[in-house]
Amino acid sequence: MFKKVFGGNAEQKVIDSIKQHMQILYSASECFKKGLQQWDKDQMFCVADLEREADVVRREIISMIYEGAFLPFLRTNICRFVEIVDEAFDVLKDTAFEFENLGPKLDEEIREDCIQIADINRQMCDMLIIAFDALFNKGDLREKTLAIRIYEKKVDDMKFDLIGRLRSKEVKNFWEGRSLSDFISYLTHISDVIEDASDYLHIINLSMR
Amino acid sequence: MNVDEIMTKKLEIISSGASIYDAIERMIDKRIRSLLVKPGDEHDVYGVITVRDIVYKALGKNLDLNKTKVSEIMSKPVVSIEKGVDVEHAVNLMTTSHISRVFVIEGKEIVGIISLLDVMSAALIKRAREGRGV
Repeated sequence: MFKKVFGGNAEQKVIDSIKQHMQILYSASECFKKGLQQWDKDQMFCVADLEREADVVRREIISMIYEGAFLPFLRTNICRFVEIVDEAFDVLKDTAFEFENLGPKLDEEIREDCIQIADINRQMCDMLIIAFDALFNKGDLREKTLAIRIYEKKVDDMKFDLIGRLRSKEVKNFWEGRSLSDFISYLTHISDVIEDASDYLHIINLSMR
Repeated sequence: MNVDEIMTKKLEIISSGASIYDAIERMIDKRIRSLLVKPGDEHDVYGVITVRDIVYKALGKNLDLNKTKVSEIMSKPVVSIEKGVDVEHAVNLMTTSHISRVFVIEGKEIVGIISLLDVMSAALIKRAREGRGV
């Protein structure tokens, strides 16, 4: 079945491109984390650059699929998976954009948590690639998606704690509060989107049985 | 894998003079199962109060939760392990001491906490990575 579904040249090209798409997501999340660590707003431009690069790859993937790669009943799910990964790019880009609007420095404690969340996001991107590999290399997809859920739970726990602390933080004006709130919302939403993507891998796996 | 790689750095601390009700509120708000208890004075050491202490030593004995102090049911001193030690040692310590969390110290300072859930999560992630280190 695996050979039948993934065996052709067109299919292999799509698989390679999807991997490339996810690798770019990983690079963007790594670059974002570095920018946050160094508090370097210029470095954040790499996220938008990589997102544009990923857009090109995504369009190619969708075209290849609708030109005939994969059996028709699988195409919708694979396209949806690619679109969810693309959503992760969008949220990461929004986070980077809000970072540029933040003040000169966050409270040390909040900043450390944000860096830790950015690092978990990065690790989740890597785990998504591992999970995707497992899907067509007969690996244990279930344990990879469980690892993604564990990461997501960590981010979720940190998110509630962060929001609780932010509520008691004084802000100078509406826009400062708004930017900080949006930044945290986007930063903690990336893990949700990656988890959604991993759920879709599970759906693809089921639909191939 | 070392304990500091998987420990939770955020420690919730309560004073030994606080009521058990205060401790319960804090645990529920923060969704945690234990609180580090501050030393009473400079000669004192850190203690710990857990959900287990509250259920067995306070609720199970019908103590007044508002009047009973944390210091009356907490455990002291805390079981701890040095930062940089392998997770396996922490697990052995938990097994021999029949506890589900160990505090991580650096010198004399408590810098984190590691629970059975942390160990399990880390082991599952490691297994999922299958040798791919990131």
